[in-house]
Amino acid sequence: MLAAIFLLLACQLIGEALHRITGLALPGSVIGMVLLLGWLALVRRERPTLSAVSGWLTAHLSIMFVPAAVGLMQEGSALSRYGLGLALATGVSTVLTIVVTALVFRWALRRFTPDEVGKRPVQPAERGA
Amino acid sequence: MSALTDLLATPLLWLAVTLGVFEIFERRSHRSGRHPLCHPVLWTTPVLITLLWATGTPYADYKADTFLLSFLLGPAVVGLAVPIWAQRERIKRLAVPIVLSLAAGAVSSVVSAIGILSLFGAPAEILASIAPRATTTPVAMAIAEQLGGVPALAACIVLFAGIAGAMTATPLLNAMKFDDYRPRGFALGVSAHGFGAARAFQVSETAGAFASLGMALNAVMTAALLSLLAALL
Repeated sequence: MLAAIFLLLACQLIGEALHRITGLALPGSVIGMVLLLGWLALVRRERPTLSAVSGWLTAHLSIMFVPAAVGLMQEGSALSRYGLGLALATGVSTVLTIVVTALVFRWALRRFTPDEVGKRPVQPAERGA
Repeated sequence: MSALTDLLATPLLWLAVTLGVFEIFERRSHRSGRHPLCHPVLWTTPVLITLLWATGTPYADYKADTFLLSFLLGPAVVGLAVPIWAQRERIKRLAVPIVLSLAAGAVSSVVSAIGILSLFGAPAEILASIAPRATTTPVAMAIAEQLGGVPALAACIVLFAGIAGAMTATPLLNAMKFDDYRPRGFALGVSAHGFGAARAFQVSETAGAFASLGMALNAVMTAALLSLLAALL
């Protein structure tokens, strides 16, 4: 358990250090994620505890960003001024991104990996699916 | 009485209140079958803002008291490497469609969000807050801060994007006649992060796995893309 927590903190620490030393604009935690990926590829073994710890963190992500979201109380003027633009830009961008990603995926699947097209895991039409 | 005042100077009160309020809405969200509009953060945030306002507590004090919660975001982001690693076989087999659609999705998300918002004359710090809108919240907050944006605003934009994506994806993709759950799930994860993944898992196991993959990969892709842009501009 402690070893898994250490691994996560060590990757983040090195990530934050690299972020500061190199001036790389990637956030330290994202660099840490890439470092951990490298470590998992380098030292191959079953890691049930690491899966459990990272799974626990992911399962409780929502409450971790409550303190930041509450910070909106200081952003009242930005919200009242750009609220409409923010809502519109976010909504349109979200829908557009879904459409573009799905279309490119389908096109590339047929164009570059024809073997995989047949493996399509078709499932019975589910209600609301 | 001063004994109690001392107690108020510790993080205990606001940590406990945050967990308690969150748990109430978490249960309601669970009862609703995880409906996007019942997301606990959507309801916990206004309640806490009201409580802070009613008690005259400055946000800086609240932020300091709940630092323990925010701190965990960092290790949580690092831990996203674990599900990506677990799906390496799938990534290898479908590398080309995954990489191309991820790049297309990340670029269209950033360009359309910034493009539309700049029509409203928003200043740079607001644009920087919307740029990472497709990534999972902790990554979006880190990127926004990095670009000179407002992490709190980024968190709320991401929340709204998740709700919008989770509610529109199914009718949208059905209308476009997508019957393959791989592009369906992947697109949902790339555009609507954890909300998209949660919605995709309700539809199919395959869609859910691809959505988690899309979410994790887009966190890295958007971070890299925006870092590059920031370095060039």
